[in-house]
Amino acid sequence: MDGRTLVGAFRDGGGKNGMSELVRLTDVTKVYQGGITGALNGVSVTVEKGEFTAIMGPSGSGKSTMLNLIAGVDRPSSGTVSVGGTLLGKLGEAGLARFRRDHIGFVFQFFYLLPNLTVLENVLIPAQLKGNVAPARARELLDQLGIAEVANRYPARLSGGQQQRVAIARALINKPTLLLADEPTGALDTRSGDQVMELLGGVHREGQTILLVTHDAKLATRHAARVISVVDGKIVDDARLDSLERAPSEVIRVRGEEASR
Amino acid sequence: MRAIFVKTLADLRRRRLQAAVIFVTTLLAVATGTMALTLIAQTRDPYQLAFEAQKGAHLQVGFDNRIDPSTLVGTPALIGASAHAGPYRATDMQFQSGGHKYAVTTIARDNPGGDVGQLRITGGHWPSSGTEVALTRSFAELNHISIGDRLKVVSVPQEPVLTVVAEVVDIDELRADVGGVQHAWVLGTAIAPLTAKDASFYLMDYRFASDPTSAQLQARMNTLRASVPPDSVTSSINYLFVRTVFHVSTEILTGVLVAFSVFALAATAAIVANLVTGIVISAYREIGIMKAVGFTPLQVIGVFVFQILVPAAAACILGIPAGTILSQPLLASNSQALGLAYQPTFSPALDVLALAGALLIVAIAAVIPAFRAGRLKPAVVIANAAAPRGNSGRWLRRLASRARLPRPIVLGLGEAAARPVRATLTLLAIVLGVATVVVALGEARSFNKIYTYEGHIGKVDVVVAKSPALADSDATQLINSQPETTRLVAETTATITVPGIADPVTTLGFRGDSAALGYLLSPGRWFNGPGEVVANRGFVQDAHLNLGDTFTGTVHGQALKLRIVGEVFDFTAGPGGHVLMLDWSTITAAVPNLTPSSYMVTLKPGSNVDAYVRRLAAAQPDLLDVQANSTGNTAFLTVIAGVLFGIAGVVALIAVAGVFNTLLLSTRERVRDTATLKTLGMSPRQVIGMVATSAGFLALLGGLVAVPGGVALYRVLFDQLSSLGGNITPLAFYDVFAPWELIAIPLAGIVVAVLAAIVPGRWAARTNVVEVLHAE
Repeated sequence: MDGRTLVGAFRDGGGKNGMSELVRLTDVTKVYQGGITGALNGVSVTVEKGEFTAIMGPSGSGKSTMLNLIAGVDRPSSGTVSVGGTLLGKLGEAGLARFRRDHIGFVFQFFYLLPNLTVLENVLIPAQLKGNVAPARARELLDQLGIAEVANRYPARLSGGQQQRVAIARALINKPTLLLADEPTGALDTRSGDQVMELLGGVHREGQTILLVTHDAKLATRHAARVISVVDGKIVDDARLDSLERAPSEVIRVRGEEASR
Repeated sequence: MRAIFVKTLADLRRRRLQAAVIFVTTLLAVATGTMALTLIAQTRDPYQLAFEAQKGAHLQVGFDNRIDPSTLVGTPALIGASAHAGPYRATDMQFQSGGHKYAVTTIARDNPGGDVGQLRITGGHWPSSGTEVALTRSFAELNHISIGDRLKVVSVPQEPVLTVVAEVVDIDELRADVGGVQHAWVLGTAIAPLTAKDASFYLMDYRFASDPTSAQLQARMNTLRASVPPDSVTSSINYLFVRTVFHVSTEILTGVLVAFSVFALAATAAIVANLVTGIVISAYREIGIMKAVGFTPLQVIGVFVFQILVPAAAACILGIPAGTILSQPLLASNSQALGLAYQPTFSPALDVLALAGALLIVAIAAVIPAFRAGRLKPAVVIANAAAPRGNSGRWLRRLASRARLPRPIVLGLGEAAARPVRATLTLLAIVLGVATVVVALGEARSFNKIYTYEGHIGKVDVVVAKSPALADSDATQLINSQPETTRLVAETTATITVPGIADPVTTLGFRGDSAALGYLLSPGRWFNGPGEVVANRGFVQDAHLNLGDTFTGTVHGQALKLRIVGEVFDFTAGPGGHVLMLDWSTITAAVPNLTPSSYMVTLKPGSNVDAYVRRLAAAQPDLLDVQANSTGNTAFLTVIAGVLFGIAGVVALIAVAGVFNTLLLSTRERVRDTATLKTLGMSPRQVIGMVATSAGFLALLGGLVAVPGGVALYRVLFDQLSSLGGNITPLAFYDVFAPWELIAIPLAGIVVAVLAAIVPGRWAARTNVVEVLHAE
């Protein structure tokens, strides 16, 4: 455990570069299978509004668990998770659903589009669950993402890259406070993956806070301003690439060393 | 083979809930089917057994007392009877017991044996003195009269008292609970003091070497009538009529049971097919792995079929004995009515038939969808965890979207129609369930309506039976003097001989405003003057007469010219029976000294019926039997309604299981979609709403089909059942559903379906997003 990085994460959490804290994990532990497997072990970290943060780590490191806890689709075994000042542990299932609907956009590795809905219907779902009708915004998003022409098609007739763009549009329809992307390029070829990451970068440049989970260090360092490395349920590195403190190559090297332990 | 069993057992352990659904639905269907089979197989036998054992009479004929009884001794040879009994002297007698008065036909008979119509003594001993009487057991039980009870005979002025010393079973009589005047027996020397003036007649029992047909019986009656003085034959009854009436309740029950059993089995087959389809759809990868490790297509099919057959066989093992046991009370009641020693009926052949039939139906329902599993290519199915998603609900979803319905409802509607085969099979189960409820409700109400109609319920408040010892004028004056009396209709019974009709026709003569009794006529109208008569359909058909036709009947030797002005709906005549109804003036023109046997009294609105009854009865305690008018013995109705609603409940329960099963399959199949929706912000309540919408929509569709279908089926079935009484049922008896009920029934179906959706809905709402999406 890199104690310096952990302390740094808290120290800087008050509003670096004029940004305010959006996500705070405090001493979060997550244990699966009756305590046999620890997915997260006492993790504390904050994410600020407007950041493009990558959580990086090998398979089973706990990075997706972190994302799930922040999204409120899972609950920590101990510790607290707060997003936008809301303590998620205090919310019931319905409250968490409302929280996700209002504040979270989720992009999955396998897209998880609803196969029996058209592209446009898929994008509209989160807005409709809120009781909103936003076809204009949905079409605008599809247009921005370059898939306006497939609006009335069903997911099965789209390429992987197109499906992931639809998923991004769906994640953005409610103008979420936080966009979570779990290995968004994991099921795509390199070209499509690059396009998706470019899109996410563009969204970030427009002010969207993004938390990206990936096992690909190059991908993380190329697009994210901050890279948190997780291994065996612990944060082993927290590098801000935009501060000149750490070079991307160094992050990649650290990540490689931690992974090989 | 071992691999199939190992895999089957493992799948059964994994799919316990689905196995439970199969078990419950098969259990209910098999129990119902076994009940029906047992009743069908066993109901004819007891009567036939008793008829042979007691040497039942094929034909019983009543003769006027003016005939010389010695001339009757030659009649058996005349009509080719192989044996006979009688002539017995008989009389209509009224007696009082426990505050009630009863009318019976008392027959002089010195012993219960003989060549024809033996009486089986089930309790006590045959009368040995002039003060002892034997009653039929069904009559004694129905009216709570026991051996040792003393009966005061009120139809003769001396009012002698008889002691009940025996209960007997008479195979030649109608059961007391289905109507008809019952017999009582006294010694030959005891009949005279019990006979009122001009109230005696003779009875002859005839038995033939082989069971005659209806036509043969009619021909023999014609011969008989021609051989005796005109109008000497006053009544007759044959074994076909008695047997039909005896079986009528059982036939109605078995008819309903068979129809509902077919429904239950069809619904079960639909559920099984649905379930196997669902399992195959969700187990694509598993099927691929099975094939990859060496299962042949036939073995794959075997695994799917066996995991259905195991719970189904377990259900049969319980359901068949349960059905057999449940059918026993009715069989026991039949046996008891016939005086047979009831023995529980277990037919191994029947049980094997039920077992084989049920398993065959279930196996066929399972094999058809399981073939799909057998045909799948391993490489393809391993690559796909499940079958391609059903997308057939798009049009419905779009329609709902345009209607701006909330998204969970739109998604639920789409889901309901996503897999057309699944939706169709579920709809079939719902339609059968709802239709059965409609049929049960309709039948029960129609039967009730018939009883109400026959009993003039709502039109007559009090029925007064008069002893022959009391003058008509005195009785009429007494009733009319009561301040509450607003209408009094007197009724008498006579028999009229009609050309072309073998038996003398029971004729009801009315005095007073008889039109107000509310008899239904179709076609035609109620009589409104001398010479006009209404007849039941059986009479019109058998006499080959039409509305407006005139015929000449004979009563007490007097010719009576009658014109048919209406066809009356009447159940009391029984299957193939005949009845005429006419005005008092018509019948008394031929029989001037005829007096009413009863009076139907209508009271002023708001009158205290009980007080009226008590007051009137107290005025003539021995000579009047005063009763508040009610449906009387409704045991038959209670049994019918109990069976109807019991089985309708069973089929409805199977339908609910079908909905539950479908939702279970759908929610499990779409677990990833549900997890995704939850991630996108769908709340638990919205998830439950989505699942409930699916169920509710299917129930709504099912209801829309089932209600008109059920009403149509009810009409067909009721036509069949009412035709047992020889009638074409008037439309009024079909008017048993209020419009709001026809709306409420499908709505209730929706409520039940939504309730059935709660468990799968909650299960879906509790989907662990992390586990589900991580599993991908």
